Amino acid sequence: MNSRQFLIRDLLVLFGLTGWALALPGFASEFAVSMALTCLMYIALSSSWALFCGTTRYLSLATSAFFGIGAYTSAILLEQVSWAQAIGLGALIAAAVAVVMGAAVLHLRGTYFAVLTFGMTELIRHAISYFEKSVTGTVGRVLMVVPERDTIYLTVLALAVITVALSITLRRTRFGLAMLGIGADEQRAQTLGVNTRWVKVAGFALTAAVAGAVGAAMSVRWTYIDPHTVFNPFIGFQTVLIALIGGAATLWGPLIAAIVFSVLAETLRLQVPQIYMMSLGLLLILSVLYLPGGLASLRAETFRGWRDGAKAWWMETRDDLSGETKRRKLRDKQLRERRDVF
Amino acid sequence: MSFSAWLELLASGLITGGIYALVALGLNLQYGLMRILNIAHGEFLMVGAYLTWMAQTSLGLNPLFMVPVSFAMLFVLGWVIHRLCFRRLTATSPNLDIFEARGLMVAFGLMFLVQNFASWMWGGDLRGYDFLTEPVQIPLPDGTAQFAGNKLLVFALALLFSGALIVLMRTTLLGKGVRALMQSPTGAQLMGINTQRLHPLMFGIGLGLSGVAGALLSMSYTISPSMGEPYTVTALIVITLGGFGSMGGALAGGLLLGVIEALGMHFTNPSLKALLSYVVFIGVLLLRPEGLFTRKSRKS
Repeated sequence: MNSRQFLIRDLLVLFGLTGWALALPGFASEFAVSMALTCLMYIALSSSWALFCGTTRYLSLATSAFFGIGAYTSAILLEQVSWAQAIGLGALIAAAVAVVMGAAVLHLRGTYFAVLTFGMTELIRHAISYFEKSVTGTVGRVLMVVPERDTIYLTVLALAVITVALSITLRRTRFGLAMLGIGADEQRAQTLGVNTRWVKVAGFALTAAVAGAVGAAMSVRWTYIDPHTVFNPFIGFQTVLIALIGGAATLWGPLIAAIVFSVLAETLRLQVPQIYMMSLGLLLILSVLYLPGGLASLRAETFRGWRDGAKAWWMETRDDLSGETKRRKLRDKQLRERRDVF
Repeated sequence: MSFSAWLELLASGLITGGIYALVALGLNLQYGLMRILNIAHGEFLMVGAYLTWMAQTSLGLNPLFMVPVSFAMLFVLGWVIHRLCFRRLTATSPNLDIFEARGLMVAFGLMFLVQNFASWMWGGDLRGYDFLTEPVQIPLPDGTAQFAGNKLLVFALALLFSGALIVLMRTTLLGKGVRALMQSPTGAQLMGINTQRLHPLMFGIGLGLSGVAGALLSMSYTISPSMGEPYTVTALIVITLGGFGSMGGALAGGLLLGVIEALGMHFTNPSLKALLSYVVFIGVLLLRPEGLFTRKSRKS
């Protein structure tokens, strides 16, 4: 397949999935719709995360900061402005914060960047809860004006579709290629004439805008928000986790992983929340160790590789346990000595 | 404020600072030597605290006896974790940057795993026991200063263990090998230092130190499954203050941060504590990413 055929295939898959998701509230139960909503939220979050962080390899842990900023924007402004405006403003403010944050920290790479974005998220969370406690005098906010359930669902669906469509188109533009170049070798990209600083800040702001919009749309679903729930670092961790397990550099990986995770979360979390979290941790470790390319990179060869690896490991352990390794070493040594004599 | 009140304030800062230093030293050993930024470090502190609490309440053992035992248990745990996760990671990662990012992710996985294991096993309640609670009076010219006995003991033991680690690093051949590996991994390997043996050993010692810190903490504070995370963050702050990989810097940074927090909380507002430490953290990372105590002579 050439690039054009890939584009058509991706757009067709997206079109089909959108149609299916659009029809869902018509026939499914209340529970299934709420599960689909969580699923769509994580599709939007992790696809937008992978859009910037997957290609440039800047590991950002600040998703929950942008999510929370969006949520607070819509919680404060929803009584004055319309629904669409609240979401747009949420995205705009989150993007503005991302531009400031990105200008300050995007010259640092690797672990420094990850730790700093995490620290800034916590700083924003603590600053807002301190502000609410000492100036507003409350801990949380109750949302009075809440739109219909279907409106929320359609908005989040639209956001998810926009995000996936963006990552389909962006990887074919100069901007997407520049981000990919930064991920491969930043200095070389710079030498070849990419304005890396601008590209990085713009990409970071783009992910932040999506996260802010999703936060603004999701805050009304909770009807009561406080800094601890909307700035929960777990939202950011889970986004990163989904993107990494799905394959951060791929297009459909985050989407597949988001669906798998939402189903897993809803079925396991209700019975034993700790087991769900433990399996999450274990899955993360296993996927980093044995499937670094993510779920989307799973092929028949991967299974063959695992099988060969396991077989080799088993042979080695068996030889160790039965003393075969020692005997083999001894034989080799005797062989060498005999060769030396003649 | 009177002299004794100042002394009490400073001492309370130094006592928390001692624990911070102990946790940070372990993390620093892991990051400085192996480039593993172990986000799960605080969770192992929590495991050490729960082990001590369990031994004290159900077996009736003295918490002091549990200090070396929890060191040994977490040392073994660290060894096993290194063998299972990080050895394969080192073998499969193409370069150090990718190893660091993947190591961070594995550590996040460990954090979820250990924290939820603890809350599944022991429940989410606050736990604690009484140990040496009677105050120690120290007479001064203007009145007496009071300290809780267990906190003084905690401080002394934290300093003892931190000092022991620093002496181990400075004077023994093992420490020399570790310092050489920190300076130049390739050069040290060419000189015949066995990384295959040294890395799991040092990872284990790092976790063992966090186990000691947990055992000490459980003597004077209440414990819960979520207690570890703030200590991880604090340890990160401390090693950025002291400079990545610098042992003396971590000790000084820990004590300094404890005092800063105690003074800041006394003069402003206790709810500002977390805010204050994050401001210090981000400020130091942005302005002096090589640490407060290092001279700028060495360029990386």
